This record gives sequence, C-alpha cells and structure tokens, in this order.
Amino acid sequence: MSLLEVKDLSVRFDTLDGRVNAVNGVSFNLDAGETLGIVGESGSGKTQSVFALMGLLARNGHASGSIKYDGAEILNLSEAELNKIRAEKISMIFQDPMTSLNPYMRVSKQLTEVLIHHKGLSRKDALAESIHMLDAVRIPQAAKRVHLYPHEFSGGMRQRIVIAMSLLCRPKLLIADEPTTALDVTVQAQIMALLSDLQKEFGTAIILITHDLGVIAGSSDNMLVMYGGRVMEYGNIEDIFAHPAHPYTMGLLHAIPRIDHQGTELVTIPGNPPNMLRLPKGCPFEPRCCYAVKDCKSIMPELTAQQNNRSRACHSSVESLL
Amino acid sequence: MLNFIIRRLLIAIPTILIIILLSFLLMHSAPGGPFSAERSLPAEVLANIEHKYGMDKPVIEQMARYLWGILTEFDFGPSFKYKNQSVNDLIASGFPVTLTYGIWSFIFASLIGVTLGVIAALKHNTWLDYLATGGAIIGSVLPNFVMAPLLVLLFSVYLNWLPGGGWEGGKIQFVILPVIALATSYLAGIARITRSSMLEVLNSNFIRTAKAKGLPNHYIILHHALKPAMLPVLTSLGLSFVGMITGSVIIDQYFSTGGIGQHFVNAALNRDYSVIMGVTILVGSLTILFNLLVEVLYAWIDPRIRY
Repeated sequence: MSLLEVKDLSVRFDTLDGRVNAVNGVSFNLDAGETLGIVGESGSGKTQSVFALMGLLARNGHASGSIKYDGAEILNLSEAELNKIRAEKISMIFQDPMTSLNPYMRVSKQLTEVLIHHKGLSRKDALAESIHMLDAVRIPQAAKRVHLYPHEFSGGMRQRIVIAMSLLCRPKLLIADEPTTALDVTVQAQIMALLSDLQKEFGTAIILITHDLGVIAGSSDNMLVMYGGRVMEYGNIEDIFAHPAHPYTMGLLHAIPRIDHQGTELVTIPGNPPNMLRLPKGCPFEPRCCYAVKDCKSIMPELTAQQNNRSRACHSSVESLL
Repeated sequence: MLNFIIRRLLIAIPTILIIILLSFLLMHSAPGGPFSAERSLPAEVLANIEHKYGMDKPVIEQMARYLWGILTEFDFGPSFKYKNQSVNDLIASGFPVTLTYGIWSFIFASLIGVTLGVIAALKHNTWLDYLATGGAIIGSVLPNFVMAPLLVLLFSVYLNWLPGGGWEGGKIQFVILPVIALATSYLAGIARITRSSMLEVLNSNFIRTAKAKGLPNHYIILHHALKPAMLPVLTSLGLSFVGMITGSVIIDQYFSTGGIGQHFVNAALNRDYSVIMGVTILVGSLTILFNLLVEVLYAWIDPRIRY
C-alpha cells in the first residue's frame, strides 16, 4: 500500500467572476521515503492540490475526490481531525521563508509550540528537542540563536528553521511548496542538499513542488507534470527527462537554457497559460500545442498507463511526437 | 530605548513652544479682546484695564511674559472672565471631571471596539460580521451632538432612568450618558480598524504556517494573530485616548458636566486668552506624551522596531 493515494482530486473555487476549476481529476501515488516532483507553470494547480491535502484551501475553495494517507481518507476532514494529521503525519514548507515565520514571535516559541501541542512535551524538553532539530538543519550556535526573532536570520537560515519546524514531529510526508524559489541560487543548492540528507536520515517522503526542472532533476524519484489543473504526464524522472512523451513536457524541457548553447535565443512555449475561469472542453494545452489533432479541441484525453509505470494524457501517439 | 524616550521628550519642548507661539499669535490677531462687550466700556477704562493686564504691550512682549510665568512659577495666568480664578484653578476643577468620563469612555470604547472588531473578522462575511460592521458604521456616522440628545431623550425623558445632565461629583448615574455619548464614535472607529487589521493578519502567510502546524484555531488567534493585529489599533487608541481625556466641547456643553471642554468654549467665545492658552498647552502636551507612549508600545509588540 502506498503512503499516499490521491484519486481524482478536483479543487474548485467559487468567485465573483464564476467558478474556477483549479485542479481537475489529479491522481497519483507516493510510497514511503520516496520523492515526487510536481512541475507546472504558475496557475497549473500544483499548490492548490497540496493545499487541499492539508486542508488549507481558501474559504471559497471546495475539494472533491479522494486522498488516502496510510489507507485512511483525509480529504475534507474536520479541523480537529486535520490538526491531528498536520505536523504529526504531514507537514509543509512554504515558498517564502521571509513571510512564513511569525515575525512577532521568537523562533524558540514557534518551534516548541509544535512539540508542546502535538507531543505533550514540557517546555524544557520541547526546547531541547527544538535545538536538536536546529542542529540537524545545520544552524550554527542553535542553542543560543533559538531565542532570536525570525528577522535576525538570513533567508536561507529562515528556510532551515522552517524545515526544522516541519520535521519536529517526524512526519512521514513532507510537502515542500517551491522551497527554494525565494532564495538565491547557491542557497538553493544548500537547501536541496539539506532536504535530501534529512530525507535519508528520517525516511520522510517528499512532495516537491516547483517550476524549476533543475531543482527536481537532482532530487526526485518520480515526476508529475501539470497543466491547466490536469496531469499531463507522470513517471520516473529519468525516463521522462530522457524520453518525454507529452508535447507540454517536451516544451518544458526544451525551454531549459543550456549553458553549452551560447548566444542562441531562449526557447519558449508559444502562447499563454489558459484562463482557469474558462477552461476549454478538450485538452487545456491544445491552443499552444504543435502536435494537436482534431479531437484535442473537444475531448480531454484520458491519463492512460504506459509501460514502465508511466502515464500520459495525449491524443497523439508517442511515436508521432518524435 | 531610554535614549529614544529622552530624545523624544527633548524634541517635545520646541514642539510645545511652537504650539504656544501659534495659538498666542492666532488669538491676538482675531479682532476684539476679553474686555470687548456689547456695551463697550469707555475708552479710558478699557485702556486702564488693558494696561493692568499688560495688554497694551507688543504681542511678543506679552508672550515672553506669559512664557516666563509658566516656566518660573507654573503660572498660566489669571482668567480674564472668571472672577478670582486662575487658569490653574479652572483646569484643576475641570480636568478631573473630563479625565473621569474620558477614562471610562476609553475603557468602554477600546474593550467593546476591539472585541467587536475581532469577532467581525473571525466571522468574516457572516451575519455577525454584518451586524458588527453595520453597527460600527452607524456609530461612526452618528456625531456626539446627535447621540447626546438621543440618549437623553430615551434614558432621561422617556424611561426616566438616568439624569439628563449635571455631574454631582461624578456619581455613577451622572457619568453613564456622557460616557456613552462620547465613546460611541471612537468605539466604532476602533472596531473598524481592528476588523480590517485582524482580517489582514489572518490572511498572512505566517498564519497559514501556524495552521499547517496543526495548532488549534483559538491558540492561533490568541498567540499568533492578536499581537500583530493590534499594531494599527494601537495608533488609533493612542489618539482616541487623548481625544477622550481632554474631553469634548459638546459633551461638556450638553450634559453641563463642567469639564475643561466647557471652559474652552466659553474662553474662545469670550477671548479669555489665558484659559484658551492653558487648555491648548494641556491638550498639546498630552497628545505628544501619548504619541510617545504608543511608539514605545510599538517596539514592545514588534521586535523588528528598534529605536
């Protein structure tokens, strides 16, 4: 049994302009200790999928489908039940460490409150454990600096604090929502290396959300490509990088700037992402796809299983894309 | 921090001097004087009186004398209208009254205002929110010169529960109506600021983090949201406090409480220079003092603020 089974997850928002279908029928599995990378451009539904998982959707958001953690349904649980899962079983790292920590509260309190609340530790034990965890994310002089406020740390150090905070209860699943986007490149590399070390140490499964293919290339086992709130392609990361089987994935991989192709223009995918208020009936990528066939406009291709545990949602055959 | 407080108190001195200078010049540039009346005094008599009070001297000299009196003897001068009363006497008799109903108004307005604001924010877009917000709008568009007669009409005339005016040394039944009349619009303002500030904080990333940590809602509000939400409220509380303890001309007039607001109006109407000056300096100093207090509290709430 997988640690996490997501089946046919949909998220919609009722807004004044109409209904926004942010996520449409997303399914995937995640095994213990494994890393799944979710890629897609802004607005592709990556973040809303995991927000649904954590019960963090905005008030006007509704999720449907099924999310099973260790075999138990966790979608649309009550707040009280969700609070037993959050931090203890699934925890989350957010994009911007500058704003995701409470600026009015000492780091020590922000860490210890998790342990006091979930594990019933005493203040003293919680502090010792928090310092231990700050050591684990390699914050120098943790015992002293735990009493500082977030603004007294650099961006990279703050993200380390956020990571330490998320691992306090040793959750089996860690969701990292663009954990390095707000950081500069050298710090990015350190944070990714730290995450993979901690994953080995604690055996945590990770869902890594990013729009940076470089970030997931080195760290994920499997990869989920999303567009317009739908899964375009899913499979082993090395397989997909070597043999992309969906026009959108191919476009993304082509768009990565190459250091050995000097002076050439940067490649982009022509066109714009779809308006989530008026998604087309067929494949959302059809207007930008140079392989589009007749059916693409009217019929959404099913996500169909391929060999090697891969799946893709495209009307064109793999051979025709080559 | 101590350094900052001392520095700010030193800056307060020239600020108060400028307030004195401006109000002194403004008053003396207005036509008429304390001794002009409908039946004017004979010119010689007037000249005598003005000479006695030093009003025939140049304005600058008058001001210098006035300042000298304050600095050396804390003497704000005699009233030109009330017999045998100095400005100090008038403020000593009026300010305790104003302070009493002002402090009660502040407690009433801030406790209820903040509570209403927080509830409205927590129950955002529900009937409770609409009720609180609607009430706040009504409260802030009802000026106290409308509130006061309405309250008197209801509680004094129709129900006959409370006296419609007077002070009687601050007996509780005389305090209630002035407090409500004065506090309403402040209360409404405080509630509105609290609501919008709380809503903003509740939508911030660090509150989302706290939720993702599986902390219960009441804990998040109490420990994570309340403190930052109070920052903008604090500014408004500081200013409201000064506004309330220095009283309201309308409250004093309407309820005949005898607070300094009443003296201020009478003084302005009568060109009672020294009383106007005294009240102006009092209000000015209190404003400066409480702004400073708010700034000190800011640093206490927000660790990123350091002076």
